[in-house]
Amino acid sequence: MSRGTSDRAWPGGIFSARTEMPFALSRQATLRTPSEQSPPTHHRTYNEESNPFTGSKDGRRLQIPEETMPISFLRRSLRKALSFLHWSPSRFPYSNRPGFPRQKDVFLTTGYRCSFHSGAQGGSFSENWRRLCSYSSRAAAEPSTSDGLTLEGIISNQWTILDEGESDWRSHVAAIAQSIGLIKRRLKWKEMLVRLNLLSAQLDRPDIWDDPMHAGKISREYGSLMAKMKEVVAWERQLLEHIDMIKLAREENDSELESESLKALLDMRRSSKDKELEALLSGQHDLCPCFIEVQAGAGGTESMDWASMVMQMYRMWAQRRGYGVTVVDEMPGEIAGIKRATIKVDGEYAFGYAKAEVGVHRLVRISPFDSNKRRHTSFAAVAVIPILGDGFSHVQINESDLRIERFRAGGAGGQHVNTTESAVRIIHIPTGITATCQNERSQHQNKASAMAVLQSRLDQLEMARQAQMNAQHTQSLTEISWGNQIRTYVLHPYRMVKDLRTNYEVSDPDSVLEGDLDGFILSYLSTSLDKDEEDK
Amino acid sequence: MQLVHNLRFTPFTFCRRLSATPSLAARCCSSPPSPTIAAKPLFLRPPHHPSTLSDLRQWYSWAYLLSTSVGSSFLLSDGGPDSSLLLRELRWLLEDVLDTSSGIHPHLVTHPDDDSHRKVWLRAEIGDLYRLWRQRIEERKPFQYVVGCEHWRDLVLWVREGVLIPRPETEMIVDLARDAVGKNPFLRDGLWADLGTGSGAIAIGVSRLVLGDGGKVFATDLSPVALEVASYNVCRYGLEDAIELRKGSWFEPLRDVQGKLAGVVSNPPYIPTDDMLGLQAEVGRHEPGLALDGGVDGTDDLLHLCHGASSFLQPGGFFAFETNGEKHCQFLMEYLAREFKGSFRSVDVVSDFSGIPRFVIGFRC
Ligand SMILES: C[S@@+](CC[C@H](N)C(=O)[O-])C[C@H]1O[C@@H](n2cnc3c(N)ncnc32)[C@H](O)[C@@H]1O
Repeated sequence: MSRGTSDRAWPGGIFSARTEMPFALSRQATLRTPSEQSPPTHHRTYNEESNPFTGSKDGRRLQIPEETMPISFLRRSLRKALSFLHWSPSRFPYSNRPGFPRQKDVFLTTGYRCSFHSGAQGGSFSENWRRLCSYSSRAAAEPSTSDGLTLEGIISNQWTILDEGESDWRSHVAAIAQSIGLIKRRLKWKEMLVRLNLLSAQLDRPDIWDDPMHAGKISREYGSLMAKMKEVVAWERQLLEHIDMIKLAREENDSELESESLKALLDMRRSSKDKELEALLSGQHDLCPCFIEVQAGAGGTESMDWASMVMQMYRMWAQRRGYGVTVVDEMPGEIAGIKRATIKVDGEYAFGYAKAEVGVHRLVRISPFDSNKRRHTSFAAVAVIPILGDGFSHVQINESDLRIERFRAGGAGGQHVNTTESAVRIIHIPTGITATCQNERSQHQNKASAMAVLQSRLDQLEMARQAQMNAQHTQSLTEISWGNQIRTYVLHPYRMVKDLRTNYEVSDPDSVLEGDLDGFILSYLSTSLDKDEEDK
Repeated sequence: MQLVHNLRFTPFTFCRRLSATPSLAARCCSSPPSPTIAAKPLFLRPPHHPSTLSDLRQWYSWAYLLSTSVGSSFLLSDGGPDSSLLLRELRWLLEDVLDTSSGIHPHLVTHPDDDSHRKVWLRAEIGDLYRLWRQRIEERKPFQYVVGCEHWRDLVLWVREGVLIPRPETEMIVDLARDAVGKNPFLRDGLWADLGTGSGAIAIGVSRLVLGDGGKVFATDLSPVALEVASYNVCRYGLEDAIELRKGSWFEPLRDVQGKLAGVVSNPPYIPTDDMLGLQAEVGRHEPGLALDGGVDGTDDLLHLCHGASSFLQPGGFFAFETNGEKHCQFLMEYLAREFKGSFRSVDVVSDFSGIPRFVIGFRC
C-alpha cells in the first residue's frame, strides 16, 4: 500500500470511509488550466452561483475525494489529471459569453490563461489546490479583497448590522463576517490549523503506510478537518469576492450586477446562521449514533417515575429529530417508572446533540405517589455514550476476558422453565465494566446488544483515558456525581425549566418533557464552545 | 427400559413408518404453507382490524393492572413470571399486534396524551386481545403461544400448542456445532441430524449458521404437530433444500444414512417423570408431555441417542446433547466411557449461561 507506486493505487478503501463533515462539501472541481506553478500573483475570482453557465458545459468534472488527500498526493494527481485533458482556451466558451463581459481572465505566472470559477458547491480545483498549498506551507497571506480588506479588517470596521430586510451591503458583509468569526471560534480555528499541519507532516512521511491502521486514522482525521477548514475558507473568500464585485459594479455603474451581488450577500447571510449551528457539531464523534442512559436517584417510586419521564423526553426528542430509538436495557421500578434504562439513538449527529444532556436532572413537583400531596424533589442522572463507527479503532475485547451471565439464574432451567426472561449480563473482568440487556426477545440478541453496549463503554473509557491529554469526553453514569445538576424542572409551585449551566429557561415544562429540547441543547453547545474559546 | 429401546428399533416398525410417511420436505413450497390463519404468528397476520388509540389504551391499562396484580405470586408458587416480566411481555404483545406503518408506535399507547381518537390498525381484534391476556394471566398460557412465536437466536419461529417452545439454553447447541465445524471444516458439508426437532429451531440454526452449501440437516420428530410447525419455519427461512423433515422415532427414519452422519444434535425430553407434576404452570399445563418426559430418571432418550450416535456418526462425526443438568452430564460421561470404550473422543461437558452443566459433546473416533 505504498503511496509512491502509483497515484491510482491510493487506498480508496480506507479513504472512502465516511468522514465527519458537518457541511455539504465540494467533491467536484472544474478544471480550467494546466498549472501547478506558484500561485498566481494577480487573480480575481468570481462566484457564479447565479450564472446559468456554471456547471461546466464541457462536462469535464473530476470526482476527487479532496477532503482525504494530503497535499503531495493532490499535486501529483493534478499533474496527472491535467496530462490527459487537452486543454485549450477555445473550449471554454465562458469568457466569450455575450452579456457577461466582466469575466476577468487571470494570468498565472506561467503565462497560462485561467478562469477561476467557483462552482455552486465550493471552489475550483486550482483554487482549492492553491489554497491547500498556501495553508499547508503556513505562509498563507490572509485572503483579502483586491484593495486589501480582510475578514479581520471587516470585523474591526464595526459596520452597523441592520435588519436583513435593509439592502445595505455593508450590513450584510458585517453580519456574515461576524458569523465566520463565530464559526472559526467554534471550530477552534487556530488549534485546527496547527493540528492540520501536524497531520499533513505525518502523512507526508514515506513510512506512514507501514501501519495502515494508524495511517487510516490520521488521514481520516486530516480529511475531516481539511473539509471543515476548506468550507470556511471558501465561505470567507466568497464574501470577499462579493465585496470586490460590489465595488466593481459601483465603479462601473452597473446596477444589475450590484443588485445581483447584494442578493448573493443576503443569501450568504441567511445560510451563515445554519453554518453557525453546524459548527457547533464539529466534535470528533458528534456524527455518531449513541446510547442514552438514565438512572433514577434516591427517593424510590417518585424518582423512578421521574427517570421514566426523562427517558420518555429523550425518546420523543429523538423521534422529532427523525432518529431511530431502540430500548436496550430497562429495569422497571416495582410500582412505577424505571430504576435505570438505556436506549440506542440512531441517526446523524445523535451524539453531538445528546452529549449536551449529560448530568443530573432535577424535578420539583407535588408527587402523585404521595397521598399527603407534598412537594418532592427528585433526581435522574443522564449519561450519553457515542457508538463509534467502523472507522474508529475500537478497544479489542478478548472473549476470555468476559464472563457472561444470565439473570434469574437458579432453578433447574432448560425444559423445566418457560420464561421470556432472557436477560444477559456481560462482565469485562479486567475493567469490571458490565453491560446488560434484557429487552431483546432472545438471549442471543440480548447478548449481541449487551456486547455492543460493552464495546461502547470500553471505547468511552479509552477515550476518557486519552482525553486527559486533549479532547473532551462525556462522563459515564458512574462518574456523574449527584451534585452535578444541570437542569431543574419545576412543576409546582410555579412552572419552569431552567438550565443551570446556561440560564436558558422556558416556562412550559410540558413541551420540554415532550421532547422540545433543542433550545436547551443548542444554547448549551454554543455557550460551552464559545466559552471554551474565550478561556484561552 | 432397555426393552423399549429395542422395540423402537425393530425392522418392522422401521419399514412401516418409513413407507407410511414420505419425506415432508417434499411438501414444502416456495411460500410458507398456510396453517389456518389464526394459527400463524400474530406479528405476521394482516393488520385488518381497525380500532382507536383510546380503545387500545383502555385495553393496555386493563392488562397492565391485571399484570401488576400478579406481583410475585407466580414466582413464589412455581417459579413463574412476576409482574415486571409480564409487563415486558405485554409490551411485546403490543409490538406484535400493532401496525406501526401508520406512525402509531407502542410508546404512544403506553404514554397517554391527547390524540386518542386516532385510528389504529391491529393484527387481532381488540376483543381477542382481552381474551389473550386473560389466558396469559389466568390460565398461565405461555406468552409464546399467546403471540404464536418465539424469538430464538436471531430467528423468529412459529410455535403453537403441541410443540415445545425452544429454550434460551438450547441456543448454545448451535454455537457448539459451529465451534466443532470451525475445528473440523470437513463437517461443514456433511449430513447432520437434529433429532426431536420440535419447532425446527436447532436444525434451522445449524443450517443457517454452521453448514456450507453441501451440508444438509435431517430433522426428525415423532409428533405430527411438531413436524407441521417445523416445516412452516423451515419454509419461512427458505431452507427447504437444506433441511429434510422426517417422521419417526429418533434415528429410525435415518437408516439410509447410518454411519454417514457428520453431526448429531438433539435436545431430547429429559425431565424425570416424577418431576412432571411440579412443573411451572406454563410448562406443565401447556407444553406437550411428549417433548418433556424423559422417563424415570430423565435419561431414557439420552441413552438411546448415545447408542444411536455410536452407530450413525461417521468417523470424526460430532454430537451435542442437551441434558437436565449436572447429574445427567456426569452420568452420561461415565456411561459413554464405560459402554463405548474407544468409540468416542474429546467427550466433554459444557455449561449454559447460568453456569449449569448442560451439554454433553464429543466426537466419534
Ligand atoms: C425437548 S423437545 C425439543 C424440541 C426442539 N429440538 C427444541 O430444542 O426446541 C423434544 C422433542 O422430541 C420429540 N420427541 C419425543 N419423543 C421422540 C421420539 N421418540 N422420536 C423423535 N422425536 C421425539 C418431541 O416431539 C419434541 O419435539
